[in-house]
Amino acid sequence: MLPVHWQKLLSLFLWIVPHVLLAILAVVLWRRRLYREFPVFFTYVLYEVAEFILLFALYSVSGDGKQYTYAYCATLLLSIALRFGVIDEVSKDLFRESEFLKVAARRSLRCVTGLLLLVGVVLAVYAPGDNSVRWIAGVSVVNRGAAMVQCGLLLSLLLFSRFLGVSWRGAAFGITLGLGVLASVDLAAYALRAEFTSKVGEEFLNLLIPGTYLVCVLIWIRFLLAPELQPASPTVVPHDEVETWNTELQRLLRD
Amino acid sequence: MTAAWTLVAVAFFALVILLYVALRSRARRFDLEKADLEKAVQAFRSLDIEAFRNLVDSAEEAFLRDNLSPKKFREIKRQRAWAALIYAWEAGGAATALAKIGQAAQRSSDPKIAASGVQLTENAFRLRLQTIGACFHLLTEVVLPDLRSPSLPPLVDQYERAAETLFRLGRFSSGRHGFISR
Repeated sequence: MLPVHWQKLLSLFLWIVPHVLLAILAVVLWRRRLYREFPVFFTYVLYEVAEFILLFALYSVSGDGKQYTYAYCATLLLSIALRFGVIDEVSKDLFRESEFLKVAARRSLRCVTGLLLLVGVVLAVYAPGDNSVRWIAGVSVVNRGAAMVQCGLLLSLLLFSRFLGVSWRGAAFGITLGLGVLASVDLAAYALRAEFTSKVGEEFLNLLIPGTYLVCVLIWIRFLLAPELQPASPTVVPHDEVETWNTELQRLLRD
Repeated sequence: MTAAWTLVAVAFFALVILLYVALRSRARRFDLEKADLEKAVQAFRSLDIEAFRNLVDSAEEAFLRDNLSPKKFREIKRQRAWAALIYAWEAGGAATALAKIGQAAQRSSDPKIAASGVQLTENAFRLRLQTIGACFHLLTEVVLPDLRSPSLPPLVDQYERAAETLFRLGRFSSGRHGFISR
């Protein structure tokens, strides 16, 4: 166990640093005009920074009292909604080069979403967790369900791309990976939080979640700041070769 | 309590898969050189059209059903479906490799190659999705060999065409290894 003041310092560090990095990331996104390609992600980054400023101000004024808790829960719900928007954005980016995939893969993703939502609802009904403070438990259950759906969706995107051989762009890949790590750790953390209310467990989770968030922000920075790799250039592919392959495939798919 | 630990296990499993798939995909993202092309050509060549046709032939299946004991039929049917599944899986792998080649072609500075690349990619994606569907179908046959599926004939036709096409492509591509460069 860490001494109390060290633990508090570490918590503050893990709370403040990712948001400072996010603010830097927002500036980079703006300067590189990446907000045009990922407007929802850009909004999400700005929102997370604004949310931090609000919560930090409330925490500084009144500690983690009622006002802080209300604000935390309200901002968390909007944050969850924005993350769904980001997932939609990266899926659009992934399938941008194929009209067929835009329709087929998105239809499949809709089915996956429906299935995951169903599991989330079943889970909320049968494993509601600790009910000592009902509405806070409710928010926790919603977050847990959302983390599960998001985790499943991101996993599906990665598996789709791998099975179909779709190329990722670096930025979209980084956003997906970071969000996936965050969603899976969120899922585990909120599942544990709903069940275990011991002080040690609470302290551990209070460090785990922001710690994961820091890792996630670092992943985003790594991928969004890195220059886009130049793909293999088929400079010496004979045109008739590609054309013939294409004709053969069209013959196959005609019926 | 059990639900919480189950979710933790699911989350951990998801995290591991996520990182594994992510790292593999990243490493292979632009690794489109000889390996992919050779993989495609090899996959095409490994498809023996006659053997595949035999495996999915409904007349052949009816003959086996009439002349074998139910137990023996189930055993043989399972083996046949499993072999056909491997064929379909290989065809899917070839489609993935073709999709990668198509995507690389899309980025060509030559507009003709780029346009062909777009079409090739679209068709390869279609073929890949079809093979995934077929694999599920054949897997059902492996698990339930007695099941007579009404949707089997069109699927069989489709796979005969797939194998035929891929075989032709395999012959066509021979001797052209390594023609994609960075």
